[in-house]
Amino acid sequence: MGPVELLHMSVFSQSFSPCGRFLAAGNNYGEIGLFSLSAALSPEATAANQKPVLTFTAHEGPVFSLLSTDCHLMSAGNGEVSAWSWAELIKKNVKPLWTKRPNYKSSLEIPEINSMAVSLRDNSLIVGGGDNNVHVMDLEHGVFKSVLQGHSDYIHCVSVREREGEILSGGEDGAVRVWDSRTGQSVHCIEVYKYQSCARPQFGKWISCLTTDSDWMLCGGGPSMSLWHLRSLSPTSVFPLSGCQRNASFHQDMILAVGEGAFVSHCLLGGDIKAQIPCTPQSLNTLQLNTNSSEHRVLTVGGSSNHIDVFTNLSYRAFSLSF
Amino acid sequence: MSSDALKKRKSKVLRTEGGTPEIKRGRGDGDQQDVRVYSEEVELDGRDPEQDYLQYKESCESLASLMGEIQELKANGAKEGCAEVERRRMQGCIHFMNLKKLNRLAHMRLKRGRDQTHEAKQRVDVLHLQLQNLLYEVMHLQKEISKCLEFKSKHEEIDLVSEEEFYQEAPQEISRPHLTKNDPHQLTLARLDWELEQRKRLAEKYKESQSTKEKIQKSIEVKKEHLRSLQPGLNAIMQASLPVQEYLSMPFEQTQKQTDIARHLPPPLYVLFVQANAYGQACDKNLNVSISGDVDEAKALSKPPEDSQDDESDSDAEEEQEKTKRRRPTTGGQLDDKRREMLKRHPLSLCLDLKCKDGSVLHLSFYYLMNLNIMTVKTKVSTSIDLSTAISAGDLLKADTLLSCLFTSDQGRETPNPANRYQFDKVGIVSFADYVEELGHPYMWVQSLGGLHFPSDASEGVRVGSSLSASHMESTIKLLRGRLQSRLALHKQFASLEHSIIPVSSECQHLFPAKIISRLARWTTITQQEYMDLPFVRHVTDAGLAKETDLYFMAVVERGTARLQAAVVLSPRYPEMSPLFSLSLSWKGERSGRTDDNLRAMESEVNVFKNELQGPRPGHQLLTNQISRLCVCLDVYLETEGQDDSVEGPREFPREKMCLRTVRGPNRLKPFKYNHPQGFFSHR
Repeated sequence: MGPVELLHMSVFSQSFSPCGRFLAAGNNYGEIGLFSLSAALSPEATAANQKPVLTFTAHEGPVFSLLSTDCHLMSAGNGEVSAWSWAELIKKNVKPLWTKRPNYKSSLEIPEINSMAVSLRDNSLIVGGGDNNVHVMDLEHGVFKSVLQGHSDYIHCVSVREREGEILSGGEDGAVRVWDSRTGQSVHCIEVYKYQSCARPQFGKWISCLTTDSDWMLCGGGPSMSLWHLRSLSPTSVFPLSGCQRNASFHQDMILAVGEGAFVSHCLLGGDIKAQIPCTPQSLNTLQLNTNSSEHRVLTVGGSSNHIDVFTNLSYRAFSLSF
Repeated sequence: MSSDALKKRKSKVLRTEGGTPEIKRGRGDGDQQDVRVYSEEVELDGRDPEQDYLQYKESCESLASLMGEIQELKANGAKEGCAEVERRRMQGCIHFMNLKKLNRLAHMRLKRGRDQTHEAKQRVDVLHLQLQNLLYEVMHLQKEISKCLEFKSKHEEIDLVSEEEFYQEAPQEISRPHLTKNDPHQLTLARLDWELEQRKRLAEKYKESQSTKEKIQKSIEVKKEHLRSLQPGLNAIMQASLPVQEYLSMPFEQTQKQTDIARHLPPPLYVLFVQANAYGQACDKNLNVSISGDVDEAKALSKPPEDSQDDESDSDAEEEQEKTKRRRPTTGGQLDDKRREMLKRHPLSLCLDLKCKDGSVLHLSFYYLMNLNIMTVKTKVSTSIDLSTAISAGDLLKADTLLSCLFTSDQGRETPNPANRYQFDKVGIVSFADYVEELGHPYMWVQSLGGLHFPSDASEGVRVGSSLSASHMESTIKLLRGRLQSRLALHKQFASLEHSIIPVSSECQHLFPAKIISRLARWTTITQQEYMDLPFVRHVTDAGLAKETDLYFMAVVERGTARLQAAVVLSPRYPEMSPLFSLSLSWKGERSGRTDDNLRAMESEVNVFKNELQGPRPGHQLLTNQISRLCVCLDVYLETEGQDDSVEGPREFPREKMCLRTVRGPNRLKPFKYNHPQGFFSHR
């Protein structure tokens, strides 16, 4: 990988290993880099420890989504999902356990997969991407068992509400759809851009980030990022963040969000911006908190750069991992 | 009768002198007459001085009493000559006689005592003398002993073989182990014998070698003589063959002459000369080698060498120059002279002319700096066509930058010889870069061609001399030719770019759609400083991709109200290293590749996916294709930009390009990839 390629690299997805000691990150060249957090966080860490311990080409297109189950790493490339064994990856054995492709109708261009979520209740993988549909895959049998149709443009993000058995998806068409995972029917459709308080017509109407926590949903994109109460289906607070948000996460009584702009935004549930912590990439695509290991509890963010910023303390950037 | 009487007397005397029979006998017959003589000396022996003293006292008393009696008698009136008085006088006379005798005896005794003392003293003196002699002898002997003890033998200075070696090597008759094992003296003697023996043998051997050497020398002499005798004959043959050579147009003579001159080249230039000639003959007919410069001066510089590749002649010359330098006083005024001396070039230089197919020629002049032991090169390009049209191409064919970075980071501004640093310090030269204009560039590849090797950080297999030059010759000539061609191609392209025409060759037509609306508005050259000051190239400069040796340009692409600025970094190693574009779009506000993901995608479209744009080998059309691709991407960018429904009126840029999807992926990228036969745009 030459210096020009590094200059134009973007990191789209991250996932921590089940043991919490490794971080997998996917970039726009279809590569997955494996970083050793335990080495990078050790007191005697050198610059070499901030480089990936393993880099391999997983897919042809960019790796937009990475996901870890209790022993597997799922990666999504151009229209395909691959599973890798974490134990083998750590031993630097690069061989996918399986590669599956959802049933696409159009064949002119292979639709990308933008987001994946796993539902533990029925052991299924929810995949949303370029063909406007949400595909549900049975992880036990390895077959795609249902297709949730309804969006009129491609899907940016999916999320799962375990307790209620509901799947949420947000798309380019500006709608957040709530699906019943058992029947496969769309239960609700929230068109966020139609709400005066959230709409930002100068950007557009797409929903590019979506996350849920019990009765609460956080969504943003073209419209301002907003916190919704799902039972009443109404926005409770709107966050006055300037750019479009691409990834957000609940953390204790706070919301962490990244998107356009070289900073991580800390927001209070009430709708105030508490802090904006600067980081290296000019715009950010992904944010990930490591909850798998108590000693390596860090926040990592990646974006339009070959660097992945690591926050050991949420209030400042500690160092950067880099491809 | 008389004899009887004598006998009687004799016996009488004999009787009286019975105490000293021995003396009489000792004196022998000669003294026979004196026996009758009274000898007081003999009497003296028999007398006791004690008794003599008593007798003397007695005589004196009786004398005194006789005197008194005479006086009494006289006083009584005795008559003169009376018997009484006469008797007394007689007695007195006897006493006087007695006293006289005693006095004589005392004198004699004294004399004898003195004699005896004297005699004894003489004896003591003799003994003393003897003692002194003996002592002296002792001292002398002691001295001799110590002298002996201090004696140093010469054999101690001889380095003998060790004892074990001696017993191993020496024959029995010399080593005599039964004698020498216990006697160190004998051992030393034997070892010395062995040494002598060995030395004798070696001396013999030396004599033998000397004689063989002489023999060989003689035979060499004979052979030399023979060879010398061949020369005139050969010359005659050469002379005779001249017309034939001319007739057959085979320039043996000319090459001969050139080789003659080449003998005076300094070693590095000679190596280059030989290698370039060899390469030219074997692989490249368009490579022409010639020597220029003052041959006489070169001859004067190097003493007529037996072997032209002899390094010593040059180093000698160098040393001499250094000596003359040292003689001069080091005042400030002469520092300039010293510098000039140090940077002096060898009077001969080597010219390599590389001809290209289109008739342009790259002239390379190689110089050798004698005192710095490095080679430099000056370049010149001559072309068949006029090149004065393009303004922005000014730097492309400048001798200064034409060959920079032919190999990675070989800028040719600093001297590659680490030793020069110290030489410069002496005469106050700060950097060789100040003299590059005048002396030429000391590129690393030039040193390699000349067979000079200077160790650097990146140490590879060290080769020196001809093999080093040979190993670099082919690749370097190819690079030189490629560089010239790429520069000429760029030159031509710049001329049309300045007229806002992007030349796209027929081989590359398939890379772009037929209709491109965005137009190149401007193509200018900018300085590195100007480039650095641009706000949208921060990521490039931070990544260290904008180097001092690079060339910088600014392209402006326009369509309608949109104006795309593209700052271009052009590496001197183009097209091997592709140009690097950074974008800034001013349309509804300013956006740059750093903040806008789509502009970033456009940058990577031209920077990363450059291999599609290379065109026919060796890729001289890369730059123009990149600019064309940029125009296409700008079209796509503007046409697919989401329309704000609230704004009235028609779109400024109607959708003309065929796209499958306008946005894709989490960062909503536009489709910048052109698919040739179908003519639609898709995502990467």
